Amino acid sequence: MHRSDRAGTPASGTVVECRSVCKTFRQRQPSERPRDVLRNLLHPRFRTIEALRGVSFTVNRGEVVAYAGPNGAGKSTTIKLLSGMLAPTSGSVRVLGMDPVADRTRYVGRIGVVFGQRTELWWDHPVAASYEWKRVVWDIPRERFDRMCGVARDILGVGESWNTLARELSLGQRMRADLGMAMLHEPEILFLDEPTLGLDVLAKRSMTRLVQQLSATGSVTVMVTSHDMNELEQLAGRVIFIESGNLAYDGDFASLRREFGDLRRLVLETDSATPPSLPGAELVGSQGMRHEYRLGGGGADVAALLRLAGEQCPVLDVETHRAPIDEVIAGIYEHWGRNRPAGTA
Amino acid sequence: MAARILRLWALYAYLDGMWIARDFRSFIFYYLADAVTAVASVAGVLLLAQRFDGIPPWTRDQVVFLLGFGMVARFVPDMLGNYNVLHISRRIGRGQLDHILVQPQPVWMALLTEGFAPFWGLLSLAPGVGLMVWAGQRMGLEATPPWLLAFALNLAGASAALTAYAALWGFAAFFQPRAAEEISGSAVDLMTDLKGFPLDALGPGLRTALVTVIPAGLMAWYPCRALLGLDHGIAALWATPAAAAALCCAACLTFRMGMKRYAQVGSSRYTSFGHRR
Repeated sequence: MHRSDRAGTPASGTVVECRSVCKTFRQRQPSERPRDVLRNLLHPRFRTIEALRGVSFTVNRGEVVAYAGPNGAGKSTTIKLLSGMLAPTSGSVRVLGMDPVADRTRYVGRIGVVFGQRTELWWDHPVAASYEWKRVVWDIPRERFDRMCGVARDILGVGESWNTLARELSLGQRMRADLGMAMLHEPEILFLDEPTLGLDVLAKRSMTRLVQQLSATGSVTVMVTSHDMNELEQLAGRVIFIESGNLAYDGDFASLRREFGDLRRLVLETDSATPPSLPGAELVGSQGMRHEYRLGGGGADVAALLRLAGEQCPVLDVETHRAPIDEVIAGIYEHWGRNRPAGTA
Repeated sequence: MAARILRLWALYAYLDGMWIARDFRSFIFYYLADAVTAVASVAGVLLLAQRFDGIPPWTRDQVVFLLGFGMVARFVPDMLGNYNVLHISRRIGRGQLDHILVQPQPVWMALLTEGFAPFWGLLSLAPGVGLMVWAGQRMGLEATPPWLLAFALNLAGASAALTAYAALWGFAAFFQPRAAEEISGSAVDLMTDLKGFPLDALGPGLRTALVTVIPAGLMAWYPCRALLGLDHGIAALWATPAAAAALCCAACLTFRMGMKRYAQVGSSRYTSFGHRR
């Protein structure tokens, strides 16, 4: 895939375009009762799973987009649709002006895909051999290959496992090697499906660093799915939330916090084990003379609450901090779970 | 396109060579185990032929030639597609076709090249060729250019028949990924286990079944009958390549159907175990 192959691609504008995308699967529902064995064989029951229900969104060149949602929401299905592995049941998927399934051969030379739970590395070969394999199959010019191998070594630390068999790598080493390999042909779009699953802090940091570096150049578009919301907030300027196959939110993280409750915490240290009563602040717990409150929304008047607390007992120390994004998301999932129509997955 | 295929074969030959020669002990034991397997696969029929001075209407030397031919016909698919077409049900059933779909090349090209492992079955090739040469010399076989051409065609046909048959069964994994995960291997075993037997003594119905329903007879028996003059006529020389071509066409059509389905349903199961080495 030479640079000249990309000549027709605009340097800016929409690169991913999903319009009313639906994807349904049939799922077998066998009965576990022995008397139903014959029925299971001859007239099995199925239920239709609507993995995606008319999802529409666009992504512009150079954006880093987090694609999030609870388990079974349709994240991996979307990544498979965008990678050309699956065709939508209805609706249209266009990436880089191409249909990922119909134009697969041409298309996949311009994207990179990393699945956290699987590897593209050759299991019984050193990482270096897998990289060489990729060079030949993707027809990567030598200069680009050497340069990108340097990036993989310097930023991802792949050099330490360069001559190690893939099956002997730790999970973190493997994921970094996989990400480095996905970058070798300098894809225009990178799809990362839970790339940090099971990784330790250091491995996560090196992956985050690479994506941030790519993002800074503005030339690579990244779509990343993960359950680690803190990591997504660090990486992406925009988040698309999918829930039960529906697009539930599309915007930035700051707006997400505003829309779904910018939960903040207030911690007071007083000279009493009895927590002060603060209307509008929910007591989360007390540890000795430290009392933690949850403040709802951005409109809480912290100064007024402190005055009120001071009237009840001396306040020795005060801390306020925003709730972790994970807590915001957990609140959203709970809200969705309560409001989900019966019968949906 | 041909240049790319050659380049990819060279790449996979390199990977195969590196795998075989990863360390001295593995290298020795690997070939030792293969040698034992190769000898075991022909020992039974060879001893029978020796004991009874042939299996009528085959002479002992003709049986040896047939065994050698079968070994080589088995080697070629092993060399070209051991980790792909020959065991395609494993790749489909384990959800590993996705690895091919993210490569910027047609699926057929990936399947044709990715399994290329020339060093892997070397010990099937060497004894097979040796048996044929030895038997050919004892029979006074004249390897004229037309005969060599017919030999090459029939060998290619026998190998293609095995590959297409294994693939045809293997594509069942598109529809039942778990139940059919190992079906290609079973189809290969079925063909391989029967390939070394002269089938002349069987009744016509069984003989026909063994060149159609289970075309094990196409792997060595039928082509060797034609090549060794047990079956006269030009049609006999073309029968194996023609049958193989028909099987290949059926396999290609089934594969297209399977791929259409795969694009709709994908794979709901993925196991990294057994992913290409």
